[in-house]
Amino acid sequence: MDSRHIIEELIYRSCLVLDDKNFKGYLDLCDSGFRYSIATHSPEIRKDMIWLDHDKKGMEALFTNLPRHNSDHSPLTRHATVYTVEVDDAQKQARVISTIQVFKTSLDGGTTQLFAVGKYIDTVNLEGASPKLLTRIVKLDTRMLGIGYHIPF
Amino acid sequence: MVRLVLYCLEKPTTIEHGRFQVVQIQKESRMSRNANAWKEKPALPPTHFVDTRIYTDVEIFREEQQKIFNKCWIIACHESELPNSYDYRTFNHPGGENIVVVRGEDKQIRAFYNICPHRGNVLLYDPVGNAKRITCIFHSWSFDTKGNCIEISRGNEGYQNRLCKEDVGLREVKSDVGFGGFVWVNIDDNSCSLKEYVGEALGMLEPHMDQELEVFHYHKAIVDTNYKLWHDTNSEFYHDYMHYFNRITGMIQPGYFDRKYIGYPNGHASVGSMEIKYDAYEGSKERGVGWPGLAPGGWILIDVFPGMTYNLRTSVLRMDTAIPLGPNKVVIEFRGLGLKSDTPQQRAERIRDHNTIWGPFGRNLHEDLLGVHGQGIAMREKATDSKWVLHGREENNTIHDEVGMRHFYAEWSKRMQRKAYDPMGDNQIAAAA
Repeated sequence: MDSRHIIEELIYRSCLVLDDKNFKGYLDLCDSGFRYSIATHSPEIRKDMIWLDHDKKGMEALFTNLPRHNSDHSPLTRHATVYTVEVDDAQKQARVISTIQVFKTSLDGGTTQLFAVGKYIDTVNLEGASPKLLTRIVKLDTRMLGIGYHIPF
Repeated sequence: MVRLVLYCLEKPTTIEHGRFQVVQIQKESRMSRNANAWKEKPALPPTHFVDTRIYTDVEIFREEQQKIFNKCWIIACHESELPNSYDYRTFNHPGGENIVVVRGEDKQIRAFYNICPHRGNVLLYDPVGNAKRITCIFHSWSFDTKGNCIEISRGNEGYQNRLCKEDVGLREVKSDVGFGGFVWVNIDDNSCSLKEYVGEALGMLEPHMDQELEVFHYHKAIVDTNYKLWHDTNSEFYHDYMHYFNRITGMIQPGYFDRKYIGYPNGHASVGSMEIKYDAYEGSKERGVGWPGLAPGGWILIDVFPGMTYNLRTSVLRMDTAIPLGPNKVVIEFRGLGLKSDTPQQRAERIRDHNTIWGPFGRNLHEDLLGVHGQGIAMREKATDSKWVLHGREENNTIHDEVGMRHFYAEWSKRMQRKAYDPMGDNQIAAAA
């Protein structure tokens, strides 16, 4: 497989494992120096905002604590499309931009609604045997998330 | 023969006395109730429960807009959202009015109906902007930041001397800036002052708001529930059972049950501080950045009638503003504030502290919203399954006492001229003493 194909598969796998709530599987796709954030811009206050910001350990704690909280259990489906892949051979990294649509399906009846749209802005580490996510910024266009959600996109 | 049926836990008996027959039926030990029992008045004083029609009835909601929201001081935005002259910020007032808040050339903040007096078009479409002249896109009538009409396009040709600019200024709404730099508006021209309205309610917070504040977080949530149910959640801490984070960092820590509710005139209420043990939650740690004058891990919460809450928790001030869109729909505006003087590092810490529990992906906010969302599901307009909501806990005004909600509904009943426990006057409940 060429590098673009391998990188695309990493992005898509990251969606599949989170859809399955396979949090260990998600963390396995991440580099030890992984940093995750959810960012958006508020026109109302004219400011960029960070809504979630964790390193790999922080993400692990977030996942560990999930069963202790009361949460909306409606499953999410993440649909990503990789737009651009820029490989930096010297750094052995790739910068990847994908669009992301998140759908929520109700448990009672199975109605699916669009929950959020945005972009994944990822840095992928290409040094090891398999590529790993080094940073992920989920740049949300959608800011109205109703009652919110406990599991990151 | 008159037959009286009594339920008891003892042996069934029948006693005849004159024309009365008393039948004592053994009550089953199970505690579920049939349809009649479900609707029976709770065995509490009438001040300690409400009829759920106050949360679902359209007529009551319309009346609340007029008698409560259009009479009370409401937070429209924060002054930091309008830093420069000619900056504006729109606000959908809970009374139903479209408002625009504008900072004038003189730096003063004023509020107007965001409506062109010509054909009723919205003047400013974007939530924020900067406009030296407020010009209606429809027919180019223009207004200055004091609400004066400064241009009627081809005015003389169309109106001759029958209508002039002085006749068509904007409708100004009373406004004031205070209590942490928030911009408050009041639709009622004859209302009391903001200072009189708030009174002593924010006294516990005032020493902590003498520095300039700045909004760093803003998001809205639309929830199919009544606005009072959101304010109720902010008015009681018994629901800490819902929050793993609060149970671990608060409820099991010393001082939690010492926090006391204090009620103030006009329906406001406050809750005193304690020390939150943030490091008790896995993955969390003690807050590095504090708040001026607030003890480390401190937490002060003040509810302002009818739907605003100041929530100062350790390093962040959160402000909720509940804006009803109907009896069973509310938009809640969430703001997070820090100090304007914050260094980038301090601000980053405040943001992180805020998001851990209060962001859209935070641990607590989602749970709170899930709770009132569930109430909204159960309390459907015209077909609600729940007849009563209880506000009956009495614990010497301490943290799990439901006096905060009772205090709110006493004010609500006074303003609405309706009893919260009998809003339609058909519940046949004797008035509370």
